[in-house]
Amino acid sequence: MSAGTVDAGRPSLLQRIDAWRLAKGTLIWIGMYVAALVIFGAFVATRSVDPIEMYRAMWNSTLTGSYGPGQVLNRAAPFILAGLAVAVPARAGLVNIGGEGQIIIGATAAGGVALALGTSGGHVESLVLMGLAAAVAGALWSGLAGVLKLKGNVDEAISTLLLNYVGANVLSYFVYGPWKDAAGNGQPNAKPLTEAQTLPTWSAINGHIGIIIALVVAALVSFALARTKWGFQLRCVGGNREAARRAGLSVGLLMLSAMLVGGALAGLGGMIQFSGMEGQLRPGIAATFGYTAFLASWLARHQPGKVVLAALLLALIAVAGDSLQISSNLPGAAVNVLMAVVLLVVLSQRRTVKAA
Amino acid sequence: MLITILAGAVAGGTSILYAALGETISERAGVINVGTEGTMLVGALASVAVTVETGNAWLGVLAGAGAGAALAGVFAIVTIWRGGNQLAAGLALMFLALGLTSLYGASYVGGNVDGFDEVKLPLLGSLPVLGKVLFRHDVLVYISYAVVPAVWWLLFRSRWGLLLRTAGERPETLLAYGVSPARVRTVAVITGGAFAGVGGAQLALALALSWSEGMTAGRGFIAVALVIFGAWRPLQVMAGAYLFGASITLGSVLQVNGVEVNQFFLDALPYVLTIVVLVVLVRRQRQYAPEALGQPL
Repeated sequence: MSAGTVDAGRPSLLQRIDAWRLAKGTLIWIGMYVAALVIFGAFVATRSVDPIEMYRAMWNSTLTGSYGPGQVLNRAAPFILAGLAVAVPARAGLVNIGGEGQIIIGATAAGGVALALGTSGGHVESLVLMGLAAAVAGALWSGLAGVLKLKGNVDEAISTLLLNYVGANVLSYFVYGPWKDAAGNGQPNAKPLTEAQTLPTWSAINGHIGIIIALVVAALVSFALARTKWGFQLRCVGGNREAARRAGLSVGLLMLSAMLVGGALAGLGGMIQFSGMEGQLRPGIAATFGYTAFLASWLARHQPGKVVLAALLLALIAVAGDSLQISSNLPGAAVNVLMAVVLLVVLSQRRTVKAA
Repeated sequence: MLITILAGAVAGGTSILYAALGETISERAGVINVGTEGTMLVGALASVAVTVETGNAWLGVLAGAGAGAALAGVFAIVTIWRGGNQLAAGLALMFLALGLTSLYGASYVGGNVDGFDEVKLPLLGSLPVLGKVLFRHDVLVYISYAVVPAVWWLLFRSRWGLLLRTAGERPETLLAYGVSPARVRTVAVITGGAFAGVGGAQLALALALSWSEGMTAGRGFIAVALVIFGAWRPLQVMAGAYLFGASITLGSVLQVNGVEVNQFFLDALPYVLTIVVLVVLVRRQRQYAPEALGQPL
């Protein structure tokens, strides 16, 4: 601060206000996450688990060593894609709670392609075909909700939610029925993927390359939303549908396109989880990933860049949850409490600093 | 066979009915609570836990209502008092319930619960057809027969209902009237949560007679959808709940009668049917939606 001169008074005051605001924003942000940790700590304390010890174990299992960070990145990949699947429709004012079903249908389609290919097909060729099939299938699944919205005026939040359950049954139908692996000891699994159908791993990140794909896609989505005509038009539709209509935009098509892109992203996320981690189709392949990604998108207020960060954070929590069983003898699903509390606390925080 | 399906419709639909009635109350006041899935789940576990610990299923129902109300209270704070988005908070509520029930429910998984048995009503239960369909159920089903008109009366004939519906249509009018719309909405949401909790209790204590993780399996979401096609009216919501009870029951009845239908097709049926019915009815129903539904104050 340049004290002494008279002229410097105004700008330095402004600067000070900005710094103060920034500091306040940061403090609130830290406060929210600390509050969430404290609340979850209080819950586990009632199960006679030492919260400090638990958090230490969670930290160690995810952020230290060679295994943990790779696991977090592996988990974050489908979260990022399914989170973007919420963020894109949100830009057009649509609520896609169907990431779960779109992931499942995407994985199912990829599984179908893998079975059809069998041992034929090169590595790149197989993966591209599986990814395409997953994206198309996911887009069809969300597009169904989009068409119902446009033609039937059915609330897309409700229809996407219900379609999640339908999707889970579609997958079950295949893995219990026509695709059931005869060599699978009666387990409801499809035949395991071949080497050529599995996402390659990269030793530098100690995980599969899904995270790279997710980051590239996130950058593309971010660009498309911020810099293209399509992104601008989506925002118009999301801002004021009637005004957009009067301005001559084809509102229906734009909304449908947002749903289709969303579903395609989630479907691709399903393929990545399937090919990178699971290696075998089975019921429960999505395991609330779609819902978690929904939370991630809301945490990020549907900004693609922040969706990546939020997805990483939730992936961290989710992977840490896997260690709870071993370290604290708590069920892994208990970390859902932490995720929920984080989002509830963030939602409770009225926006104090307007995002740019 | 038809009688079995109809009786099953009532038995299987009652948990959804309670939850959907709760959601009706909440939405009439202007608040969509997708977290009903979570409040049901928490209600189910609380009812099982208290029933097992005290040996009294009625205390279990009470606990279910209380747990549902408490969870809905969290939702009310976030959405009504802090202006959080209702859909996002609802989903978060579901996660909270998934986590809490796995945190506290592990020791109750699988065990049989001494809940509510079927009570055949004297005289009524011996009626041909109707007796079997309506009057050979657990007590919570009979109570629901009375709760439906009671909720209708509360919503449409009582002063409380008038305030509540105003909070859902024109909340600003309440202010002029010297009533806090936030308070009215809070009461409605918490009442709705208690109803969903009872729905969960009915599911666990009367239908399943046990607790298992995630046992609501989307019933709470169906309840939310039901409210739309029930046009926010208790009687129509009741009809809808039974329709879904029927679609849930259909599978087992068909199997017992040797009809070969794919299990997963039947499992998907309630959800598909909900969507189809929404498509058919929604055009007509939309006009009945509370005007300020989903809007923050």
